[in-house]
Amino acid sequence: MARRPGSFTSVAQPVRSFWSRFAFALLLAGAFTLMLLGKADVLLVERFRTSVADALAPVLEVLSRPAASVADTVAAARRLRDLRAENERLRVDNDRLERWQHVARRLEAENKALRALTNYVPEPAVAFITARVIADAGGAFVRSAMINAGSDQGVRRGLAAVTGDGLAGGVVELGSRHARVLLITDLNSQIPVVVERTRDPGVLAGDNTRLPRLVYLPQNAQVLPGDRIVTSGHGGVFPAGLPIGVVTAIDDGSIKVMPYVDWNRLEYVRLLDYGLDGLVRPAAGTPPFTLMGPERSDRGRLLGLAPK
Amino acid sequence: MRMTATQRVDLWLRQATPIALTVLLAILSAVPIGIPGYTAVVPAYTAMAAFYWAVFRPDLQPPFALFLVGVLQDILAATPLGMTALSLMIVHGLAVSQRRAFLGKPFVLAWFGFVLIHALAAFLVWFLASLLALRLVGPEPAVFQYLVTVTLFPVVAWVFVRIHRYVVR
Repeated sequence: MARRPGSFTSVAQPVRSFWSRFAFALLLAGAFTLMLLGKADVLLVERFRTSVADALAPVLEVLSRPAASVADTVAAARRLRDLRAENERLRVDNDRLERWQHVARRLEAENKALRALTNYVPEPAVAFITARVIADAGGAFVRSAMINAGSDQGVRRGLAAVTGDGLAGGVVELGSRHARVLLITDLNSQIPVVVERTRDPGVLAGDNTRLPRLVYLPQNAQVLPGDRIVTSGHGGVFPAGLPIGVVTAIDDGSIKVMPYVDWNRLEYVRLLDYGLDGLVRPAAGTPPFTLMGPERSDRGRLLGLAPK
Repeated sequence: MRMTATQRVDLWLRQATPIALTVLLAILSAVPIGIPGYTAVVPAYTAMAAFYWAVFRPDLQPPFALFLVGVLQDILAATPLGMTALSLMIVHGLAVSQRRAFLGKPFVLAWFGFVLIHALAAFLVWFLASLLALRLVGPEPAVFQYLVTVTLFPVVAWVFVRIHRYVVR
C-alpha cells in the first residue's frame, strides 16, 4: 500500500514533539547533574571551566577596555569639579603625613637596630604581578573577579590580590591566560586575620554583602569600632600584615568589617608572591579517589579555614 | 523555489541572531562598567532574552543552545555550573508553554508574564544557591537583582523588538 505523503508527517509530528519535550527534560536533568558534579569538585569540570574561561579571556579583555575608559572619563569629570576642595584636603593631609614620615623614619631606624640585636629572621622578598580586572561578574551569589594574567605570567593559586588600599582576595582558579580572584566579601572566603590593636586572632568570613563578618574571636576579645583588621599569616596562604579593613559596627555577636578596597574601582590588582606555598598539602602519593585529583585539596582550604 | 547561496547565508545569519544576541548579553553581563554597586545587581539580561524569544520566536531558540549559553554565563560569573542554565531553561519552558497568552496582546501583559516567570526562576536559583552553599544565602542581593531585572525588561525588550523587526524578520 502506497503511503500518502501526509501520513508520514502525521506520524513524525508527535514523535518530534515528544522528542522536544524529552530533550527539555533531559536538559533540566543535565543542569542538575552539572551542579552536583561542580559541587563534588570533579577535576574534569574544573578543567572544562578553566579552559572555556581561558578561551574567552581575550574577548573579555577587549570588551572591558571601552567600559573602563568610559568609567575613567566620568571619574575624571567628577575629579575636575572637586579640584579645589581636593587640593585643600591634600595640603592638610600632606602636612600630617610629613609628620608621620618623620615618625616612620625614626621607627625604621630603631627597628633595624633592634632586628640586628635580636638576630631576627627577615621576611622573604616579595614579587609582584599586576593584572587588569577583565570581568567582575557574580550577580547575587558570587563575589569574584577575573584577571588577565594566568600561569603563563607566573600566577599561582593562593596568591594574595591587593589594590593600593588593601587586600582584595586570593587566586582560586587558574588558567593559562586568566585567573579568578575570590573576593574577601564572597560567601566562601574565610581569611585568618588579627585585630591590629589587640592582636586578637579571628577569621574574616564573607557573606556576599559589602561588609564581611569577623568570627571565631577569642572569648575575651575587646574589639571596638575603628579597629584595623590585618591578615595574620596563619595557615600560610596570605602573608601577615596586609591591611584588610576597619571594624564598623558591632551588634551582639556580629562584628562587621568595612574593607579598604573600593569595590567600584577594582580595575587593577597586584598579586603578591611571597614564595609561600602555604596550602596544606595532601599526603604524599596520589589520593585514593582518582576522580578528585590532587588539586581538590587546594580549593577548600585555600583561603584558610573553609569548613569541610 | 530555490534560494541562492547568498540568500541562504543571509537567512541563516538572520535566524542565528537571537542566540548570538543572547551569547553577547551573557558576555556583556560580566564586563565591569564601573557603576557603583552594579556588580551585585547586574540584571539577568539573558533571562530577558530567553523570555522574549521564547514568546515571539521559539523556533529560533533551541533549548540546547540556550542551555549552552547558560553554562557559558555560569563559567564567566563563577556561579555553580548549571545554575543559570537551569534558570534559563525554566524561563524558556514556561514562556513557550504560556506564549499564546502574550501573543498579539498589549506589551504590559508580556511584562507581567515576565515578572511572574522570572520570579519563579529567580527564587529557584536562590534556593539552589543556598542548597549548594549548605547555608542560607542572604536573599537581599537576589531580590534587588530581580527587581532591577524586571524594571529594565521594557527597555531591553524595546531593543529586542527593533532587532526582531529589522534583523530577524
